[in-house]
Amino acid sequence: MGEIILTMKDIDKSFPGVHALDHVDFELRRGEVHALMGENGAGKSTLMKVLTGIYTKDSGTITYEGETVEFHNTHDAQAAGIVIVHQELNMIGDLTVAQNIFIGREFKKGLMIDDRKMIRESKKLFDELHIDIDPRAKMSDLTVGKQQMCEIAKAISHQAKIIIFDEPSAALTEKEIEDLFAIIRDLRKQNLGIIYISHRMDEIKVITDRVTVMRDGAYIGTLITSECTKEDIINMMVGRVIYENPKTHSMVPEDAPVVLKVEHLNAGKSVQDVSFELRKGEILGFSGLMGAGRTETARALFGADPKQSGDIYVNGEKVTINSPEDAVRHGIGYLSEDRKRFGVVVQKTITENSTLATLEKYMAGMFINKAAEKAVAEKYIAELDTKTPGADQLVVNLSGGNQQKIVIAKWLVRNCDILIFDEPTRGIDVGAKNEIYKLMNLLASEGKSIIMISSEMTEILRMSDRIVVMCEGKKTGEIPIEEATQEAIMDKATRDIK
Amino acid sequence: MGPVIGSGSISFSFYQQKEDKRMKKKVLAVLMSTVMIGSLMAAPVFAAENLSDTTEGIAQFEGLTANEAYDFQIVVKSFQSTYWQAALQGMDMAKDELGVTYTAQGPASESDIADQVNMLNSAINGAPAGVGLAACDTSSVLESLQAAVDAGVPVVAFDTGVPEPPEGSIVCTVVTDNVAAGEVAAVNLYEAVKDKIGQGAPVRIGEINQDNYALNIQQRGLGFINKLIELAAADGFTVAMEGNEFYVNEAEGAVEGDADIILEVRVPAQTTVDLCSTEAGTILDKEDTIAVFGSNQTAAEGLLVANDNREVLGDTIVGVGFDAGTSIKAAVEDGTFLGAVTQSPLMMGYYCIYALTAAANGQELIDVPTDGYWYNAENMNDENIAPNLYD
Amino acid sequence: MTKKRSIFTQEVIVGIVLVALYLIFRLISPDFGKYTTFLSMMDISYYYALMAIGVAFPLITGGVDLSIGTGMICYALAGGCLIRFYNCPTGLAILVSILFGVGIGLANGVLISLMGLPPFLATLCTCMITRGLGSVVTGSFAIPWPTAKQDNGWFHSIFKITTADNLKLPLGLLWIILLTLIMQFVLAHTRFGRYTISIGSNKEAAILSGINVKFYHVMVYMVSGLFAGLASIAYAAVIKTVQPGTGAGMELDAIGGAIVGGVSASGGYGTIYGTVIGAYVIIFLKQGLPYIGFNANMQQIITGFVLIGAVTIDIIKRKVIK
Repeated sequence: MGEIILTMKDIDKSFPGVHALDHVDFELRRGEVHALMGENGAGKSTLMKVLTGIYTKDSGTITYEGETVEFHNTHDAQAAGIVIVHQELNMIGDLTVAQNIFIGREFKKGLMIDDRKMIRESKKLFDELHIDIDPRAKMSDLTVGKQQMCEIAKAISHQAKIIIFDEPSAALTEKEIEDLFAIIRDLRKQNLGIIYISHRMDEIKVITDRVTVMRDGAYIGTLITSECTKEDIINMMVGRVIYENPKTHSMVPEDAPVVLKVEHLNAGKSVQDVSFELRKGEILGFSGLMGAGRTETARALFGADPKQSGDIYVNGEKVTINSPEDAVRHGIGYLSEDRKRFGVVVQKTITENSTLATLEKYMAGMFINKAAEKAVAEKYIAELDTKTPGADQLVVNLSGGNQQKIVIAKWLVRNCDILIFDEPTRGIDVGAKNEIYKLMNLLASEGKSIIMISSEMTEILRMSDRIVVMCEGKKTGEIPIEEATQEAIMDKATRDIK
Repeated sequence: MGPVIGSGSISFSFYQQKEDKRMKKKVLAVLMSTVMIGSLMAAPVFAAENLSDTTEGIAQFEGLTANEAYDFQIVVKSFQSTYWQAALQGMDMAKDELGVTYTAQGPASESDIADQVNMLNSAINGAPAGVGLAACDTSSVLESLQAAVDAGVPVVAFDTGVPEPPEGSIVCTVVTDNVAAGEVAAVNLYEAVKDKIGQGAPVRIGEINQDNYALNIQQRGLGFINKLIELAAADGFTVAMEGNEFYVNEAEGAVEGDADIILEVRVPAQTTVDLCSTEAGTILDKEDTIAVFGSNQTAAEGLLVANDNREVLGDTIVGVGFDAGTSIKAAVEDGTFLGAVTQSPLMMGYYCIYALTAAANGQELIDVPTDGYWYNAENMNDENIAPNLYD
Repeated sequence: MTKKRSIFTQEVIVGIVLVALYLIFRLISPDFGKYTTFLSMMDISYYYALMAIGVAFPLITGGVDLSIGTGMICYALAGGCLIRFYNCPTGLAILVSILFGVGIGLANGVLISLMGLPPFLATLCTCMITRGLGSVVTGSFAIPWPTAKQDNGWFHSIFKITTADNLKLPLGLLWIILLTLIMQFVLAHTRFGRYTISIGSNKEAAILSGINVKFYHVMVYMVSGLFAGLASIAYAAVIKTVQPGTGAGMELDAIGGAIVGGVSASGGYGTIYGTVIGAYVIIFLKQGLPYIGFNANMQQIITGFVLIGAVTIDIIKRKVIK
């Protein structure tokens, strides 16, 4: 490890309703791979976005190569030698691979863009990285994994001094991950500073030199990787927050009937021959890597996306679900992972949101029966313990956790007995998270059945009665909670990856 | 043939008195004022038998002076064509002579009916000495006219008359007789082509109307059609109608099937020059076409755009236009158009202010029909014609 | 760029449709086949084609420019006024008209890119403004441009020349072809073009790639304004007398042409040659249907169905690729 190249001190950043970064410190040396760890919502990505100028910090200082800096956009940061490989894919689908890699700094021949040179340079780059991609291919025609590799190649092709990898391995196969590590080691040798954000404990141990842990937007501590154990890191990540007691055995009664049965569901590449059962009062966890097809399965089941084939039985009876309307009629409710886009109408009141899916029940002739509507909204505010001054409050003014409760209320009002929670605690503060957990357990104990899709291993292990694991559109395993371990799940989640 | 049908003589002493102010401003005004006197002396009235005598309407303004320096509100249909420029010039002349003032406004296009009604309402609310109105849609203004009666504001309708207005609202109507205007186009057009009719094969005469809902276009279009049928019948020829259903159904005396003359009426979907030109093109392209009439400025300009490439007007096909404007005037001058009918927007504007002033004085008024003129290359520079030919 | 695609791209299909339309109209109406009809059709096509080339750029960014129709009239009025009332040389007036267009384009770009207004809203506002402005600059009067026979009417020969033996040639078509090739080149082989596509395909990614998206987004609307300015000259040359208050609705024919020609209604894809071919399909329908006995109302209905057809192809195409 060389000298310090980057110091972030006392970085503070708030968004409406969320204190995303609470006086965070971070340090990076030349020639080191520095892991940044923490649960979802711990503030890792936010910290990196502050560093690369996507977000403006509220306070604190950034010292880069001995000078205090503040980047106002990614372009400035790139020019200074700090590049980021994003977690979300940031590729322009309608352009080719080469055009994407050199976007913003195209080679020119007179007025014209020199596409040939860009293709040549891309090839060179891919050869160095041992990646087999045609630079002339259209980006949207590539698989997610290959797009990710392009993203990495693009970042490397900048004359970078610091490269930030934001969960780069999430969509990569084992072979690709090995290649990636080879590249990273190579870059480390070239004395670059590398920040590596990942959830995967095994990778951290293999590739990184130091680990900085964040939790709930705060800096917890920095360890030297070789001198610590996994458990040390996990303890720092989880902290002393008391969650619902993790399940050690299934809470579902032996004789609980099957309320939902899905057989041989097929929907495009993302859902291939998926079958499973859901029993009354059960929380069925869906685990897998990014792009494993869990959300797609839920959406196909819910009728939001078309399916090619597959039978669905609700309470033993075969049903046809071609649209969300059909699903809701059969008592299935879906809580989207992206609440703002699909779950709630943030500029409307709690009352209006609560009855959104059931408005026909609250009509008096042509008009909405506002009193009845409000009464039911208030009932669920009390029942779900939603923190709000009143039912007339606009949803946008609520915290993430309370917004989630409004979505739950919406489906409970609709009398849905089967609830699909897609990433129910994404972007929710730790305290509120626990309330959602409590609520889910309560709902299950009242006889509601829940499918919970989650990317957080701890959440899966804590909440599920049974776990379905998916990989590349296929169901690769089903594990009772009694036998479930992180390793067992991970093994199945990567089973089909070549 | 003579360009002027009918005649009469009126003297206008009041007009000569105050012609000086604008002269200093514009050479154009000088020309117009002098020409105006001549024009009024000669008073060329077309189709006199169809019009009420203009003498009486105009004579009522003799010796008129304004009792106060009145302020009037004028609401026009739009400013879309240079037609309105001439009307406002006439108003300017009258206001200078009488020592009154006026403010003119109008919507962006003639189809913005609601905008015009709003303008009219606010004009009435300002309690002016009087309101001059050229209504886009005559039925939409009825409510506003009732408000004018209630507020005691006299309204003078010009350019377009309002049928059945609320009692006491319209004190005077200053309009061109559009039926007669269409007729004079038919008379001149028929005279030029009648030798080609009845020579064996049927011949085609076209008419381009910019729409089939505005009253003045309807009247003009049907005036042309019915007069043509009448003239043809007098010579023993029959006429069959083709094209736009409204005009086909309203035509009187047309025959079904074979006839000596096919009269084809075309109406575009929108009142734009390029759509008019497409419709005109289809007529100009037909082998049997001998004459075409464009019944307002937009239609006549469309006819000229279509002729740009075909160059048949003034050669194998007789063209007749309506209104003035640079392109149409140039077409008449170089013989592309046999001639055109112009209204007298200048006189309409002029008498509108006179009527408003007289009404504000408390005078009882009768309607004032204004003159229209047939003009061609020979007479367009005559002193009794030129002032009405706005650019 | 699109090596592996089928040769039956939307552009090719629309090109075939264009030829088919011409042949069908000719077959039904011999008059439609006359050279003079063709000339008239070309005259009227120039300003629609120019508007379409320009508006293709905002469309490819996923935006729209509704101000080009009324804008075109406004710029023509401004230039015409200069010639008529200020004895301005024709060349200078033409330049002013074009620059006026670029200026309104700049205003659109600033509203959309820097102030964050939705393109539909921003350009709807400038549509209204240019409509009113046209009336204001002219004192609300129709403005004639010089005729071809006048000394300062030389600009007519940009679009149509008459040979010694009185043969008229639609020179404007040559300019349309040339501008199509130039702008296609700009779209496919320059940074500006590439970023136009990028903004339409994934604006967020373009920003994160360090592109000055705001700058290029403004440029996109300036190009649209520039072509509306060029269209105003073509309009003045063909229609000669420009009436204030008109022009609304013309932008829809240009936008419709671009969509028919394969520009993706949601942005990210489009070609300029496709756009121009699509614009000519609309013009052929507009000009040809009256010849085969359809009135102009039927023509609008048919054009609507053609648009639905074109957009459906676009959607199906995207689904198949997916």
